[in-house]
Amino acid sequence: MNRTPGQPKFVRPKTPLETAPGTPMAASRTTLRTTAPKTPPKTDWRACDIMVCVMARLLQDGERVFHGVASHLPMIAMALARQLHAPNLVSLNIPGGVNPPSIKKASYSSAGADLLAGAEAYFPLEQIFDLSMRGGLDVAFLSGAQFDVHGNVNNSVIGSYRSPKVRLPGGAGSAVLIPTAKKVIIWRTRHDRRTFVEKVDFVTTRGNVWKIVTPLCVFGVKDGRLHLESVHPTSSLKEVEENTGFPLKYGDVTYTLPPTPQELAALRQIDPYDYRLKEFKG
Amino acid sequence: MVTSASAGRTKGRSKLMSLEEAAAMVRDGDLIALSGNVLHRAPMAFVRELIRQGKRRLGVVKTAGAHDIDLLCAAGCVETVSAGFVSYETEFGLAAHYRKAVESGEVRVNEHACYTVISALRAAASGAPFMPVAGFRDTDLIRENDDFRVIPDPFGDEPVTVVRAIAPDWAVIHVQEADETGNAAIYGPKYEDVLMSRAARKVIVTAERIVSAGHWQRQPTLVDIPGFLVEAVVHAPRGAAPGSCDRLYDADLTALTKFMKLDRKDIPAYVAQFERADRSGRKAVIRI
Repeated sequence: MNRTPGQPKFVRPKTPLETAPGTPMAASRTTLRTTAPKTPPKTDWRACDIMVCVMARLLQDGERVFHGVASHLPMIAMALARQLHAPNLVSLNIPGGVNPPSIKKASYSSAGADLLAGAEAYFPLEQIFDLSMRGGLDVAFLSGAQFDVHGNVNNSVIGSYRSPKVRLPGGAGSAVLIPTAKKVIIWRTRHDRRTFVEKVDFVTTRGNVWKIVTPLCVFGVKDGRLHLESVHPTSSLKEVEENTGFPLKYGDVTYTLPPTPQELAALRQIDPYDYRLKEFKG
Repeated sequence: MVTSASAGRTKGRSKLMSLEEAAAMVRDGDLIALSGNVLHRAPMAFVRELIRQGKRRLGVVKTAGAHDIDLLCAAGCVETVSAGFVSYETEFGLAAHYRKAVESGEVRVNEHACYTVISALRAAASGAPFMPVAGFRDTDLIRENDDFRVIPDPFGDEPVTVVRAIAPDWAVIHVQEADETGNAAIYGPKYEDVLMSRAARKVIVTAERIVSAGHWQRQPTLVDIPGFLVEAVVHAPRGAAPGSCDRLYDADLTALTKFMKLDRKDIPAYVAQFERADRSGRKAVIRI
């Protein structure tokens, strides 16, 4: 496809998505080439479910993983990973609760005291940052408003910094975590041409972006460029193409493995009030 | 071990004062650091009092703010915001008043990463002029925010980004418990509040409950802010509402939903409706 012959000296190691035991990814791979996929099967799950499951599968046992503010999907994904395949994952958050036993009270915030109540230990934000700066944070979940083909992240402004058309919330911890965490997983519940652009209006940060998970697909980063890795079965290559503001690059694109019955059952238990749907509202 | 109940009691002067008196100490143009994180344990009663007193040109420092900064911007009290993140979370969306104030040019944003706010406060807390920040490099924020410089590492070859110390004129910290001399304890997440209390020139504590002297005598390690750093103590029950205060109350989502629909012209009335409750704290401790 878009591979350049004679160039790929660097072979990216297999990701946990491809190799993690218990996720029969390889068996279910359907190679998409340039043709649109067949009509996807009817499903009993939603985009938020597959996003959470994909994000959870990217996490490995024993990793130290952080989520920040306004981060319901990562919060649930981390709990799901701990429940299913990564029981020794270290879950870190802003209020400082190490491995919160439950996320059921985190209804309107992913930075509240409920994540510290009943946790194993107190390890607050200041120390999580320090940990990342010294190379001790494995995964950080971060988001933003705009992402470009080179993996630059913008959550600062649309337009110019001094007189912005839209003042965005700000990058929060991302300007130090994206360059220092070993792997950064970006999630965004919106996938359109205003979100995935050729060039961001402002570089809040760039660095170790590893995967980007959207309601339509999963991007990886290859040779400093976003690379389409899998398309959710509810979407299509055409839909991803139409909603992405830069030309897609891909090799073997697969369908994302749909949520398994086991994952959906665990999700219903971990997140009975469906907080995973919140980021899709409004 | 013999202990006398009165032996450890502080004989220090009472710093207990009314919310109005404490807020009156803040001058136009002052730089204030606000406690808590997003909707949690922000000093909202104090923020509303600043608005009622018509403060102007304030600078605000915080890692991640929400209703506090949004409301101050709505009321026209703010000149600059130095923060990593200003927004409500997920379901409430962007901080609309903050956003408008910035887009109109009324408020200037010195956008930080949350960690560079922490580093700037650490510099101030330790009396250093600046602090190196590892990993803060490939960002346009260095170009736009005058708090950052990239300098040669005096001990190595790679350049290093440094952030200028930020010493707020005031740290305003809302806590669950304080005694009248200013000793204060935060229960649950402390966020960056302890650091703020060390970095600021002066500290104002607002507390849900005023406890008697010697309250922490058997466990002084529970005191997060020692009274000698504190200028004023205000009894402010429900002082973080409509946000949350751990162990006492959760955020009032109904009130916040109503606020989201308000125009800028509605803000004085919105703030006024809290006035009675905000000023209901005890002005002096009655000793028994």
